[in-house]
Amino acid sequence: MDNNHENIKRRTDEDGVIFMSIKNEQTEALQESKDEDINILAIESSCDETAAAVVRNGREVLSNIISSQIALHTVYGGVVPEIASRKHVEKINVCVRAALSEAGLSLDDIDAIAVTYGPGLVGALLVGVSEAKALSFATGKPLVGVHHIEGHICANYIEYKELEPPFMCLVASGGHSHLVYVKDYGEYDIIGQTRDDAAGEAFDKVARAIGLGYPGGPKVDKAAREGNPDAIAFPRAKTSEKSYDFSFSGLKSAVLNYLNQAEMKGEEINKNDVAASFQKAVVDVLTEHTMEAAEEYNCKKVAIAGGVASNTALRERLEAECEKRGMTFYRPAPVLCTDNAAMIGAAGYYEYLKGNRAGMDLNAVPNLPLGDRERRYHGRSSN
Amino acid sequence: MKIISLDTSGLVCTVAVTEDDRLLSEFSIQHKITHSELLLPMMEQIKERLSLDLNTVDAIAVSAGPGSFTGLRIGVATAKGLCLALNKPLIAVPTLDALAYNLYGNENIICPMMDARRSQVYTGIYTFVPEKESEDQHEVFYKMKTLMPQAAMSVAEIADRLNKIGKRAVLLGDGIPVYRDKLDDLLKVDYILAPPLANRQRAAALSVLAAEYFRKGKLADTDSFAPEYLRASQAEREAKEKKARTVKIREMSAEDITESAALEAASLGKEAWTEKQLLEACTRDDTVYIVAEKAGRVAGLCGVRNISGEGDVTNVSVSAELRNTGIGYMMLTELLKKAEGIGCRDFTLEVREQNQPARKLYEKLGFVNEGIRPNFYDDPDDNAVIYWKRNTND
Repeated sequence: MDNNHENIKRRTDEDGVIFMSIKNEQTEALQESKDEDINILAIESSCDETAAAVVRNGREVLSNIISSQIALHTVYGGVVPEIASRKHVEKINVCVRAALSEAGLSLDDIDAIAVTYGPGLVGALLVGVSEAKALSFATGKPLVGVHHIEGHICANYIEYKELEPPFMCLVASGGHSHLVYVKDYGEYDIIGQTRDDAAGEAFDKVARAIGLGYPGGPKVDKAAREGNPDAIAFPRAKTSEKSYDFSFSGLKSAVLNYLNQAEMKGEEINKNDVAASFQKAVVDVLTEHTMEAAEEYNCKKVAIAGGVASNTALRERLEAECEKRGMTFYRPAPVLCTDNAAMIGAAGYYEYLKGNRAGMDLNAVPNLPLGDRERRYHGRSSN
Repeated sequence: MKIISLDTSGLVCTVAVTEDDRLLSEFSIQHKITHSELLLPMMEQIKERLSLDLNTVDAIAVSAGPGSFTGLRIGVATAKGLCLALNKPLIAVPTLDALAYNLYGNENIICPMMDARRSQVYTGIYTFVPEKESEDQHEVFYKMKTLMPQAAMSVAEIADRLNKIGKRAVLLGDGIPVYRDKLDDLLKVDYILAPPLANRQRAAALSVLAAEYFRKGKLADTDSFAPEYLRASQAEREAKEKKARTVKIREMSAEDITESAALEAASLGKEAWTEKQLLEACTRDDTVYIVAEKAGRVAGLCGVRNISGEGDVTNVSVSAELRNTGIGYMMLTELLKKAEGIGCRDFTLEVREQNQPARKLYEKLGFVNEGIRPNFYDDPDDNAVIYWKRNTND
C-alpha cells in the first residue's frame, strides 16, 4: 500500500551522521522553471535532523536533504539536546548548499526563506533560525517562520497534488499527538491533543521497557508484526465522552505493570505479543478519535502526519476505516513523515502567499502553539 | 579590507564593521534580551546607517569559542549563513584571544576569564610585547603573546598559574564579578580590574585580530566549522565517567602476563616487552605493576621500578578502544600511590615527543618536561621527552 517510490542517495560521514538526498519520480520529471514560480528554500532543525530543501509552488520538491544524527543518540537512549545542537551547527551549511545544488538553483532564484521556529528543542531550533535569518539578511529575500507541526500536515500537499483543505489530520510523532481540523491553508483548529505523553513517546518508553531500544517506533512496529495483538488486553484510555483528547501515560503504565507482574511471577514474556498488543491499543484510540472527529466535522478527507504516521498498523487501520465510511485517506510516504525541510517549504509557501513575514528578531519558541498568530513573530525563549 | 565581526559568546551581543584602520561601526548591547533577538536587528541597523553594500565586505569574523554553548551557536550559525549567502570567507578567532586584545599595548599580564559554571572559568594568559621593525625607527608595534592558550580550568588553578608568573595581572571578562572574592583570596600578585570600556567582549577588538588572521590566510572552513566549546556535553561526560567506573584497577598477577604482553605488543610494537620480561619485572620486590581490568580482560597496564628512591615508570599502555576514557589517569594515580609504599619519592618517565595524548596525561598528573633525548626512538624516528614528577625539595 505504501508509496515508497523515493530514490534516496545515502552516505555516512565519519562522525556517524547519515547524509541523505531524497528524490522521487516527480523530482526527476520536473518542468522548466517559469517566472511566476515561487521557490522556497526551507530549513528545519527542531530535533535531531538537520534538513534543507527547495520547494516550488508549495508542492514540487526540487531537493530534499536530511542529515540524520540518529546513530549518535542511540547510545543515550534518546535525543541529547546539546549533542543535537552541536551537530546542527556543523552540518547546516552543508545541507543548505546541497539543497540548492541538487535543485540546480542559486540563492538568486529563491523567492523566500522558510524556517521552523517552534516547537522543538530551543538550542536546536536556534541554529536553523540563525542560519535562515542570516541568509534572509544577506540576500534581502523575505523570511517566513513555520510551525513544525503545520509542516508535518503540509507534507500531504507534497504527496497529493490534488489535496485541498478542508480535511481532518491526525498528527502523531515523538513530541506531539494532535487531531487537527485543517480549515484552509494556514488555518488550523486543534480539536484534540494528548494530555500527557505523545504517542511516539509512549512507543519509545515501551520499547525501552521490553528491551527493543531506541528509536521505539520502528522497533515496536517490526516486533508487533510477529506478535498477537489480542494476546494482552491493555486499556484504551478515554479522556471523557465528548473529548477528542488522548492520554497515553495510563497505557504506558499498564504495560510496565504487566511486565513487572510477569517478572515477579517468574513468567517469560513474549516481547512480540506485548509490542503488538500495546500498538493495537494506541492504534485503536488514534483511529477511533480520528474517525469520530471526521464524521462530526463532515470531512470526506482524512490525512495523517508526523513520525508515528509511518507506523504500518496505523496506516492499514485508518485506510480500512476510511474506506468503510467512503472517505479518502491521505498518507505521505514515510520519508515525508519524518522530520524534513520539504514539508517546511510546503507550509512556508502558503504562509508566504498570505503575506506572513518574520522580522530579523525572529526567535526560537520551544513550545509554540499551533495556529497562534499573535505569538508567531514575537515569541520569547530563553537562551 | 572590510570585515563584519560578531561575538555572542558571553553576556554581550556585539557587532562591528572595520575597514583597514578605521572602525566604521561598533554596536554592543549587554541586557536581558536574548542574542537571537538582538544580533540580526543590530546588523540591520548598522547596514542601514552605513549604507553598507554587503557584497563589498571581504570576510565575516566570529568568536570561535569558548563561551555559552547556545550563544556560540547563534553567532556561528549566523556567520556561516552570511558566508554562504555572500560567498565570503569565515574568520574564527578564539574568544579569549579577542577578549585579551581589548587591552592592546598593555605590558602587564592579561588574564581574561569567562564564567564556565561549576567553579570553573574559560581563561587564557596573554601579554603585549613591544617590537620595532628596525633599531633606528621610533614607531613601536605591540605583538600579543600567548603565555597560556585558552582552556577551561578551576579558579584555583588559574590563580596558581598567575601566582607562579609572579607579575601584576589585568583581569577582565564576565567571570570576574562571579569569582571576585575567591580570586582576591587566592591571588598573591597585584591585580587590576579592567574598566567597563574593555572588560567584556568587543567586536572591534575581534575585528582587528581577524584582519591579522585574514592577512596571514588563517581562514576557517565555512561549511564544516564548529565552535570550540572546550567542554563535552553533560551526557557525554556522564557516559565517559560511567564507562570508566566499570573498570577495575588492581595489581598485576602472573595470570595477567599473557594478556598484558599481547596488549603491549598491540600498542607499543617492537618496543613491547615479552611475556618473560614482564613476568620477571612484576615479581621483583622493587617494582609495582598495575592493570586495568574491563569485562574480565586486561585493558591497560603500567609499572614502576624503584631505583634508589626514584620511580622509573615503564610499560604504560591502554587498549585502543578505551583510550581517552580516563583509564590511564586512574591506573597511574594508583601506581604512584602504591609506589610511594615501596619508597619511591620522585618519578620519571620517557615518552615519544609525538605522543600528545600520553604527554597531556602525564602533565595532568603533575609530570614536568625536563628535557629531550634526541632521536631516542625509531620506526618512526622520534625524540624522547624526559618527564619528572619531583616530590622532594632539592
